[in-house]
Amino acid sequence: MDNLTLHKVRKDYGKVRAVEGVDLTFNHGELTALLGPSGCGKTTLLRLIAGLEDPTAGKIMLGPRDLTRQAAHQRKFGMVFQNFALFPHLNVRENVCYALTIAGVPKAQAHETAARLLDLVQLTPFGDRAIGALSGGQRQRVAIARALAQEPEVFLLDEPMSALDANLREAMQVELRMLQQRLGITTVVVTHDQREAMTMADNIVVMSDGRVEQTGAPQDIYHKPGNPFVANFIGRANFFEGVMRGGRITAGSLSLEAGTRKYLDGSPVTVVIRPEKACLDEVMPEGNRVPAEVIFVRDVGPTRDIHLDTPLGPMVVEYAIGEGARAFTRGQKTEVHLPAGGLYIYPSDKARAVA
Amino acid sequence: MSAVDPPTLASSETSGRSRRSIMRPDLFQAVLWALILTLCVVPFVLVIVISFGQKIEGAAWAFGFTGANYQRFFVGASWPESTTFLYLNRLWYSVYYAVIAAVLAVLTAFPFTWFMTRMSRAAQSRWLVFLLATLSLSEVFIVMGWDILLSNRSGLPMVLRETGVTDWLKVTGWFDVLREWGMANPRNVKFKTSEFATILTMSYLVWPYAVILLYPALSRLDPSMTEAARTMGAGPWTVMRTVVLPSVRLPLIGTLFLLFVFLLGVYVSVTVFAEPAKQTLAVSVYEAVRGSTLNAPFGAAQAVILLITGGICLWLGQILVNRKGVTA
Amino acid sequence: MKIFAHGFMALAAFVIVLPILVVCASALNGGRSMLFPPQDPTLTRFAEFFLHEPVWRNALVNSVIIAFGSAALAVLIAWPVAYGVWKRRSAASKLLAGLGAMPFALPPIVFGVGLGFMWGFSGGLGNIWSGVISHAVLFMALPLVTISIGLQSIDEAHLDAAATMGATPATTFRTIILPQMVPYTLSGFFFALVLSFNEFIVMFFVSASGYATVTLQIFNSLRNGFTPTMAVAAITFILVSVIVFSAVARFGDLPRLMGADPSRK
Repeated sequence: MDNLTLHKVRKDYGKVRAVEGVDLTFNHGELTALLGPSGCGKTTLLRLIAGLEDPTAGKIMLGPRDLTRQAAHQRKFGMVFQNFALFPHLNVRENVCYALTIAGVPKAQAHETAARLLDLVQLTPFGDRAIGALSGGQRQRVAIARALAQEPEVFLLDEPMSALDANLREAMQVELRMLQQRLGITTVVVTHDQREAMTMADNIVVMSDGRVEQTGAPQDIYHKPGNPFVANFIGRANFFEGVMRGGRITAGSLSLEAGTRKYLDGSPVTVVIRPEKACLDEVMPEGNRVPAEVIFVRDVGPTRDIHLDTPLGPMVVEYAIGEGARAFTRGQKTEVHLPAGGLYIYPSDKARAVA
Repeated sequence: MSAVDPPTLASSETSGRSRRSIMRPDLFQAVLWALILTLCVVPFVLVIVISFGQKIEGAAWAFGFTGANYQRFFVGASWPESTTFLYLNRLWYSVYYAVIAAVLAVLTAFPFTWFMTRMSRAAQSRWLVFLLATLSLSEVFIVMGWDILLSNRSGLPMVLRETGVTDWLKVTGWFDVLREWGMANPRNVKFKTSEFATILTMSYLVWPYAVILLYPALSRLDPSMTEAARTMGAGPWTVMRTVVLPSVRLPLIGTLFLLFVFLLGVYVSVTVFAEPAKQTLAVSVYEAVRGSTLNAPFGAAQAVILLITGGICLWLGQILVNRKGVTA
Repeated sequence: MKIFAHGFMALAAFVIVLPILVVCASALNGGRSMLFPPQDPTLTRFAEFFLHEPVWRNALVNSVIIAFGSAALAVLIAWPVAYGVWKRRSAASKLLAGLGAMPFALPPIVFGVGLGFMWGFSGGLGNIWSGVISHAVLFMALPLVTISIGLQSIDEAHLDAAATMGATPATTFRTIILPQMVPYTLSGFFFALVLSFNEFIVMFFVSASGYATVTLQIFNSLRNGFTPTMAVAAITFILVSVIVFSAVARFGDLPRLMGADPSRK
């Protein structure tokens, strides 16, 4: 029941710092998603955990054991690679058996394990197939079965859905999550897709520029983003700049109730509001109203995106389509209500840059 | 450059985790270097060293340090009393045949390769089998084939006479032109011996090489590039001239120079098809080392000249490629 | 354009095939001279070449020994050199590979003369083993190229995957790299084999008349003119080439080996 912990792990490639000073704990049996845009260092971090890269500084521990100096083949953390890295010269069963074969496990026993794992990923009839004869989804299942055959202490997946078709992805996310919960194995998934992270993870680690921006449960991260980057990366967000005055945000000639008093008067702030928090209903509460002009309307199934031009800048509002929903047309003048409870307020980036 | 360099090898060993070596860098590498140096480099070094040696009467030779062999090559053995350019003449024919044959081969192989790379992968595979089979075919067999085709008793001259082409040539006066070019005897057209037959066979010999060398560049040419040019109104010839040729100019030049160096060493085609007065350096190397004249140091000196000619050519090609690469 | 393309390719193929066909046909000549079309067609030349004339039979045996021996040796030397370039990517390993490919790139007559001197000093002149080594060195460039192409095609993720499953570098080499390299190694072997089979200039200098291969035997009798029995040898060699390269195309990716873009089909 050991947790995997990283202590001040750093990785430099020459002068480029890929990962800097990361402290993280991966709880036993939980699935953690490393989420961030490409080039943020998440894959490097995964490879550091696997032992495929040596950290420049820091320690990697599994419970009381220090793994930092152990090579990948000593750690034997099962890993699923982006393009699955199935061995083309071996068939499905031989791929799944690989770890056991090279460890000298008797053939009969290895085949038994393979049969059990292929059953687990619902590929029982495919044992003798060549890798080239499999579809993308089947390859992914083989890769998962193969990584699990050695009964690893930690299970690592590098962008496991990126090689799959869009419609297959969601199904596989659910399936992978259910499998992981059944096995109760400590799992780390690298992804750049926030929906994927939200679907599967117990914990999400948001990264950018080699740093950890925020760690937490998916709902916490979504509803309490720690900074504008996280707010923008997880879900959609509208941004505007303002100055705090007596618990209100002043932006141009507008003054909005902030719902917080923790900022000093005169401090510049960046304000974020999510499209679904802004209100365009016919009957809207008093206060925090902003005049707006509809510039574009887009139907996206059950909701409708209304693009607005406001004194605060362009803004997107998600409007639910239902009984008695309002109709919007381009050029229409209206007001949008920004509830104080839906505003995330951060110290302005510009102020930080000056300071 | 030392043969073994343990510190750098050892440091490169630890740089990448996924590439940990399974080879012991020290002893094994040393043996490998020794092997390659002995087998690949020493023979060339020996040729150079022996080219400064002396011939001893009775078919033997001794090491030495004399420029006599080179003097003999450039101005003759009895210089300064008399001067002869016999061997420079041979070098001239080596270069002359090689240049024309290489240019002809590339000119004809280029459209062929272009058409071939526009075919399906399976069809390309079949053509490649065909080309490799002819490419690997020994020069002796190829010369054998052209010898039959061009000989006076059978083959083309006979066909020309039987079909009446010879008579037609005589009537139109072209026959006299051919006689002037050394391609006809009083009775009929003849190809043996002639520059035409020599160059034809040499060109044939390297033609599959030309295709194989041009193949990578042409097959990697993105079809959407030519398609884009087509949509902008360029006809097939304009596409060839403005898109294809400029983008494969460097491999084209490279192929030309490689074929040239290869052709410098051709032996059988020249001995069979070239007139005695128009033999090449490769032939006289052979004669000096193992043939009738038996003068190993002089043969080695001629081989060195051949090497230097090839080297200069490759160097020129490199300069040309680099300069074009900068201006392109 | 399409008609022109096909016409041009057909013409080129015709010119390429013409002398080969003529050689094949003249193997049927009843007399001693090479005539086309053949006079008094007969198959006795085939019996002569393969059975009755010891000169040709011995030459064929020598050709086979040298071709197989040198191709195997070339592969054995080329492997660590190509592996070194792939593994280390250092200037030193690239230089080593460049030196290894040098004999193939320069005029063979010069290399032949040099080898003749070298074996003369070391006592190998005229022995068949020196012939095997000479051809192995001359044609090492071919397995060097095919094995390098193969190593480049190995997906680095495969090596990482093997490591995460407990494979040591040695195990990875044995279970991942070697099996995937079999087609490339065999292609290199067969390229070297076929070219060795046909080569005679270098063989001429290192054999020092101690023995002869088939092509060398033909070369040696050049002054006396060609005979129909030699044409039988030509047919044999052409068949071997076609069979070998067809096999390479069947079991390996020939367009890729020749440098085509692997991603495009």
